[in-house]
Amino acid sequence: MAFNFNWSPLIADTSRAREMLTTALNKSPKPPIIVDDIIVTELNLGSTPPELEILEIGDLAEDRFRGIFKMSYTGNAFLTLKTKVQANPLNTYLSTKPDFASPQPLAAASGLVIPLQITLSDIRLSGFVILVFSKQKGITLVFRNDPLESLKVSSTFDSIPFVRDYLQREIEGQLRVLFMEDLPAIIHRLSLRLWSPEYQELETEQRLDGMKDAAAPIDPLSTPPQDAVDAFGNPLDESQISSLSRDPTSEVHASFSQKNILHLTALSESQRTLSLFTPSIREAVFRAWAGQPDRNESGSNTPALTQSSLSRIQSTFGSMKSASSSVASGSTGNDTQSSRPTLSSNYSAPAGLNLGANRLRTHPMRKRKKRVVNLRRDRDGGESSGVSTEANTPAPSTNVSETASVIHEEREKEEELVTPPKSPVKQGLRFEGKHGSLDVGEPGRVSKKSSAEGLLPAPLLADPSRLSKSKQKAKVSTPLIIEEPEKEKKMASGRPPLSHNHLRRTRQTTSPLLRSLSLDKVSTLSSGSRLSVPPHSYTENTSSSGGILEQAWMLKMAQEIARKVQEEKEKEAYRDRESSPSPNPQGLFHPQPQSTSKRGGIWAQDEDDAPPAYVA
Amino acid sequence: MLDFMDNVQNAFYEASHWNVDNSYGALNATARALLDFQTPKGLRLQISSLAAPNFATSYTLGSVGVVDGSVSYLYSSLPLRGRFKSSDLDLHNVIKGYRHLQKLRRPDEDWWWEVWHSGKRIDRRDTLLYGRIFLPQSTLEALYLRRLSPTKQLKISAVSSSSLNNGGTILALLQNDVGKYSTEYMYSTDSVLMGVRGLYNFGPDPRVAPTIPVTAQEIAEPVHGRFSAGAELYYGLLNKSGGISTGLRFTTLPNHTGFPYTMTLTLNPLMGNLSSTYAVKAGQNLALCSRIDFNFYSYESELQLGCELWRRRRNTDIEWAVKKLRPDWKQPNVAPDEDVSGILKARVDQNWKIGVLWEGRIKELLFTLGASLDLKKREQIIRAVGIELQYSS
Repeated sequence: MAFNFNWSPLIADTSRAREMLTTALNKSPKPPIIVDDIIVTELNLGSTPPELEILEIGDLAEDRFRGIFKMSYTGNAFLTLKTKVQANPLNTYLSTKPDFASPQPLAAASGLVIPLQITLSDIRLSGFVILVFSKQKGITLVFRNDPLESLKVSSTFDSIPFVRDYLQREIEGQLRVLFMEDLPAIIHRLSLRLWSPEYQELETEQRLDGMKDAAAPIDPLSTPPQDAVDAFGNPLDESQISSLSRDPTSEVHASFSQKNILHLTALSESQRTLSLFTPSIREAVFRAWAGQPDRNESGSNTPALTQSSLSRIQSTFGSMKSASSSVASGSTGNDTQSSRPTLSSNYSAPAGLNLGANRLRTHPMRKRKKRVVNLRRDRDGGESSGVSTEANTPAPSTNVSETASVIHEEREKEEELVTPPKSPVKQGLRFEGKHGSLDVGEPGRVSKKSSAEGLLPAPLLADPSRLSKSKQKAKVSTPLIIEEPEKEKKMASGRPPLSHNHLRRTRQTTSPLLRSLSLDKVSTLSSGSRLSVPPHSYTENTSSSGGILEQAWMLKMAQEIARKVQEEKEKEAYRDRESSPSPNPQGLFHPQPQSTSKRGGIWAQDEDDAPPAYVA
Repeated sequence: MLDFMDNVQNAFYEASHWNVDNSYGALNATARALLDFQTPKGLRLQISSLAAPNFATSYTLGSVGVVDGSVSYLYSSLPLRGRFKSSDLDLHNVIKGYRHLQKLRRPDEDWWWEVWHSGKRIDRRDTLLYGRIFLPQSTLEALYLRRLSPTKQLKISAVSSSSLNNGGTILALLQNDVGKYSTEYMYSTDSVLMGVRGLYNFGPDPRVAPTIPVTAQEIAEPVHGRFSAGAELYYGLLNKSGGISTGLRFTTLPNHTGFPYTMTLTLNPLMGNLSSTYAVKAGQNLALCSRIDFNFYSYESELQLGCELWRRRRNTDIEWAVKKLRPDWKQPNVAPDEDVSGILKARVDQNWKIGVLWEGRIKELLFTLGASLDLKKREQIIRAVGIELQYSS
């Protein structure tokens, strides 16, 4: 599959872009040397399009898209600005000084206002771009880093080196601000105008009002999404938004003992495999740990019993993430069986807290199609991190960004990066080593399978070493790719044997418990909701700003997680070396070039059972 | 209207025989007074007092949105014995208008200032100290003025404010004035700016005038005007930028029989700015001024017109009687400003920006009413309105 960017229509009409650039440039207070508005007179995007390298595609559909690109631009675009500058340095110097101690020159400070024309050309850009597109919410484009590499400023004053250097410096600074702050806003606005007729009307009104905040800066990190909608397109109210935006990171710090965390992780993983109450979403792919919120969704709407069991699982995730901020709860020493009854009570409390995104789950059964394709190479991993995603965001997407940000923060450690798997794990689950991926099957299927074969008793749960091992593996894997089982099987052949056997076993072990708790309700609920909510409803859900917001939160949290997980993993590794002399060959991690698996993964998946919309 | 403290400073200059007008910086003082006057904003009250001949205090309270104010003190080693009460001060001293230049004074001889007492010189250099603190901005202005000699004066002014780079700035100005010419050297700590200014007056040298025998021609055609030329040069060491300007002025002296007028021409060769002003005192109560700026690099030009009108009260009750007075009858000598009801200053430029000022005295209060208008902006014609009230005792 390839993208076909049509560059030429972009070149055609740039009047609107010019207008918006003008507004953006005049927004910030100007230095005293500039005595007039800065007007963009010419904007030519050139004939050479920028080169985009796809690093990751988080979401793909006809009407929405989310991905990370590496962009490099060496084209012939140019931009011409017009303004007036005060050419007398004495004048600008004195204008900022108090009169009392001013030399008060007679005429030496008389102004010479010179119309200045600046042409910016030879723009060299290189950076990582996060692009989120949805038909309803327009395009959100964010630069992960400062994309400006170099540019040539030619102006009226090229013959005067001092002025030329000054201009070059000033303009580069301004442009950096433009790229990082203003351009995303401009593009968003433009795209809204293009696709959203409501917005067009709205803006026309605004313009009549005076177009005051034409290019109001969108600071995705500090402001809540301005027009948040939920999965069904209903606008979220203030409180919901605030809950979304203000979930402190600290909430994920539940108090768990290390041991229990391991147990619970295994438990939840197995549960995921069985996916009793994971809504089976057609054409949905989960990131390894992206499934958790999904279940949370369903859990929040299930009756109390189920909910508690669910929340237990949730809590394990939370604890996993915060990985052993272990103020041990009472059940620390217990084995799984013994702790089972208490689990719900112990861990249900933090359950609601562990993911901020969970709060959003006011609408049950938000099934979302998630395809996370990680095309990231190792060195690129950091940049691609902020998979900024959708606004009010469905948890899966937040998880996506989470993973990514973990990688970003722990770039140097990426080799051994451990992230707790959180997605519903199913039969086809595959945990990979360092760059491996955690593949999660389709929940619906999983439930079927699990019902068929997951009825084993749970003695294995009592086997802590296994649990811990498997859990460790799960953690070690960077769960970036979620693929469908078929795909995964294909891939598996080229891969060293991995830990999924263990995982499967542990999953199976826990299944009775889970089933007993929530199978009936959840399954009914999920099936019902599946019916009620067509997959299309999600498309409306993809909004732009909230994802970025969450991303900030996730970034913070991910840092924490990565750190803790790393610690834990080291500990585990140490313990393994010491205590468990029988190395499980399947548990070994083999670093593997990730890109192949990823690429194969997503496309294969598309071929397999993607809806028509996905076939690119 | 001049601030009370400025008025006191001027009195100090006068008392110490310092000619403020004989400086390149004052070359176009007339035009600036008639065209560049400040219009007040908001309400401002000032209460001042020359408590002792050597000591003055002034308090101002202003309200432009927020209430702010300033407290200032002034000390002069030279006793100042002018009239500073707002009820009886000469309005010409506080209202800057057409500057009628006087004949150049011959500078004092050094020995005039010497005071000997029992074989010892006991005279001191006249000094003026001034400080003003603005609240709540916490900006401090300080001035140290010292007459080093009859022809020399040192002026150090400083501003301390947190809003400035390095917390403040100091300007040192050394002025030399020998009548025939004057020079000024300045140094500003801000970006290490250095400057030189000089003014040369053509015509007879006041220092040597008494020794040259008066010729018949000079008597027949007395000098009724003065031609002056000057230049200034600045250079900032830190920002490596400078400025330069030259200027010419012709002004009529008091013995000129027609309308007094002043013409100046200043040129900034670096920036290509040419500015010419023409001011005429068209009568006892009217002064007119125009200024044309032209930049021969950018071809931008600017025109400003201004006027100053002294409006005098007519006592209609006795007017008929005054008319019937015989011309040779001496009118009773009244204070020159007794009948001034107000002074109107107005300026307008080619962009229809208008500034209007109405100044005067009501009872014991000096008032300044001002407004600036912009006729081009239909929606907001009045840019600023303000009133200032001063009381001094």
